[in-house]
Amino acid sequence: MPRLERIEYKPISVRKLFLDIKNLSELMIDLAYSAALFNDKELAEDVLELESRVDTLTYLLEMEIMIAARDVEDAEKLAGVSKVASAADKISDAAADIAAIVTKKIGIHPIVSEGFEKVEERLIRAKVNEDSILVNKQIGELDLAARMGVDVIAIRRNKDWIIDPEDTTQIESGAILIARGASAGIREFKELVEGKLRKLEG
Amino acid sequence: MPRRHQEKFEEIVERFVELKDTSELMMDLAYSSLLLNSKELAEDVQELEEHVDKLHTDFELLVLSCGFKLEEAKGLLGLIRLGVVTEKIADAAAEIAEVVLRGIEPHRVLKLVIEEAEETVTYVQVAEDSLITNKTLRSARIPEETGMWILAIRRRGKYIRPRPHTTIESGDVLIASGYAKGEEDLKKLASP
Repeated sequence: MPRLERIEYKPISVRKLFLDIKNLSELMIDLAYSAALFNDKELAEDVLELESRVDTLTYLLEMEIMIAARDVEDAEKLAGVSKVASAADKISDAAADIAAIVTKKIGIHPIVSEGFEKVEERLIRAKVNEDSILVNKQIGELDLAARMGVDVIAIRRNKDWIIDPEDTTQIESGAILIARGASAGIREFKELVEGKLRKLEG
Repeated sequence: MPRRHQEKFEEIVERFVELKDTSELMMDLAYSSLLLNSKELAEDVQELEEHVDKLHTDFELLVLSCGFKLEEAKGLLGLIRLGVVTEKIADAAAEIAEVVLRGIEPHRVLKLVIEEAEETVTYVQVAEDSLITNKTLRSARIPEETGMWILAIRRRGKYIRPRPHTTIESGDVLIASGYAKGEEDLKKLASP
């Protein structure tokens, strides 16, 4: 049995909690498919970690909803919020099921991955090397979409996740970037992040 | 690997991509149905959920009927599990849509989170003489021209998830959301 932590009430708004649950569950689906199709163990582990984060957030949201309901009308509407959050939680569970294909070493036939590469954009996960030319740059100034068809969809700094970073978000050394794009661009981007490529083309 | 197997694999991948795309499209539509309190969209989600059940069964039967050897079968087990997951996602999307179908106006928090603005959803059919017929979504530049965002394309009873390389065909029904004033522009663009 996994050890379950006690979840203590913290005052966080329903809106903030629901926003995080929705965003995380959607990010997790993308990460999980990519982990499974390209047999990426690190991505799979990120997904499993996020899954327990979403569990905690959903729990906190339930508490917050109970406190927020003042009358019948509130209860009717908030029940809908609870229902939608629990559906998003199920989506995050589904993502964890996908990640388990990798962590349990079941794997997916390489021909399937090849077939997928033709139709799907690929996701990569790369850690920012201290020597990378991207360190301390803002995402917007790199013009990644125009240069190499790459979009940074999330940044992980230790335990914190930034989803859909703003143009002004800074790339810090040691952060983990998750980016999406066509395969050539994504390879070039990974080399830039890891400090193996020292020049921005185009 | 024998050629016959290669073809089987390609077919399996193709079916799986359809399953995956449909389940993700359902998530988009389900959240949009909440945002817009649209029963029409919510019913589309419910309908798609039944469609996914069928796709999923067909997909599993296809995999099972291939008669692969043990080593190959192992790689396929992962794919079968992925299939199960797409169905779970579809079910979750259907649950989101149910909130709308129960008839209580969704809580404002849901709307705030899904989108800050007051938006509308619209269905337009693409005419043969439209400027966007036979163009890819990327080159049609619909969001730039109209401010409307394409959620899905309905083509001959099937739903297609919009991708930049998807070609718009005459007769397609575009399901789009955006500000009310973009609706007219989109209608003009699609059926002049």
